[in-house]
Amino acid sequence: MVIKADMKMADLVMHDIQLLAVIQRLEIPLGFRDKTVTDVCIENSVDIDFFLHIANAFHDHDLYPKEQFLIFKIEWIVNYLRNSHRCYVDHRIPMIEQQIIELEADIDKDKVPDLLLKYFREYINEFNGHIELEERIVFPYTLQLNEALTGKIQPLDFTSKYNDYKIDKYVDDHNDIEEKLFDLKNILIKYMPPPKNNCKYNTLIFELFRLEKDLQDHSDLEDKVLIPKVRLMEKEFNKLTHAIK
Amino acid sequence: MIKVAIGESSYIIRKGIIQLLNEFNEIDLITEYSDAFEFEKKIHETSPDLVIVNPSFYNGLNLPAENANKNLLILHLFNSILPASAPKSHLSVFENKADLIEKLSVAIKALKPSSNSEKDNELTPREKLVLKQVALGKTNKEIGDKLFISTHTVISHRKNITRKLDIKTVSGLTVYAILNQLLSIEDIS
Repeated sequence: MVIKADMKMADLVMHDIQLLAVIQRLEIPLGFRDKTVTDVCIENSVDIDFFLHIANAFHDHDLYPKEQFLIFKIEWIVNYLRNSHRCYVDHRIPMIEQQIIELEADIDKDKVPDLLLKYFREYINEFNGHIELEERIVFPYTLQLNEALTGKIQPLDFTSKYNDYKIDKYVDDHNDIEEKLFDLKNILIKYMPPPKNNCKYNTLIFELFRLEKDLQDHSDLEDKVLIPKVRLMEKEFNKLTHAIK
Repeated sequence: MIKVAIGESSYIIRKGIIQLLNEFNEIDLITEYSDAFEFEKKIHETSPDLVIVNPSFYNGLNLPAENANKNLLILHLFNSILPASAPKSHLSVFENKADLIEKLSVAIKALKPSSNSEKDNELTPREKLVLKQVALGKTNKEIGDKLFISTHTVISHRKNITRKLDIKTVSGLTVYAILNQLLSIEDIS
């Protein structure tokens, strides 16, 4: 399915439930009735092209149009990423944590005392560290770089604030946190003693797969769109400051 | 892994066969030929293990590839209905998915090297020792010193452990070690 502007918004979600996450992160409320993508986007002040690109990219990775993405406003991309962070931190990850607590309540404590919970909390720590880095440094840096480029703040103020910070520094620090999640899936499927409550156990595994895929999309957006775009902005900013000097 | 070559002039039939072949993990390369001349000329280049070919492509002659690869398996793809007595190596575009998958499975099974790869995933006693030390948070050097092996050997053991268990992180390996009684919870706290 190639998502187009005249399609009904509700049909998109029916086709691919994963798109619900995209819609929510663009702060579009449900209750679509028979409205088209265009109608809904206009109502919620979301750029139609931006919606189409991001929805198509998430629906079908072969349609990841990275060059076209670069024309969109950086604020939109940062806002989208921030909204995904909120969703993970406030909702998805605590939910999985709770599922693990319930699951371990059923397991023989002497054999495996809160082993998974401990493991998952380690993951949460790493994950929060990753998100904090972005929220505290990368996003403000990106947004202010944009303001410096558009004349909202003085280029020199920006330079004195961030010195020689570059987005590539973040790329270096951007460690792989997916591995822990991957291992957890394997441990649950291959190595845990058979569970008493299959239903709870399966729900947890499903949830982990879903989170993994979602995080993959999230880091794709960072790696293929955010970072290349900031690199371009840095180049442009360099030219600007050279011109001033 | 198995390499497949398809010789068939119809685009839709070729793509349909590829769709079916994609259901088998064992297959890692599919080459398609839409033209009989090209098929005959180039089939050597990829040295396929399995050839699925429309009989009109070779006019009942020996396939050139047969000389190159003794274990080559050939399935003949007919665009007519097969008689009930047709051998398993004959496929027809009129067959349903279940029958086609069945025939392809037989061919792929025959091609698979008879390895006992599942058993290979068992950790050796040596690897278990290394795993225990990894789970305890020891560095490669410390593990080497303790087990009287070089750091290089430790790294190669660790690679094998990760490959066999599909667990990459140290914390994941620790969980595995405890679940399999290589370690007790007290050891790590």
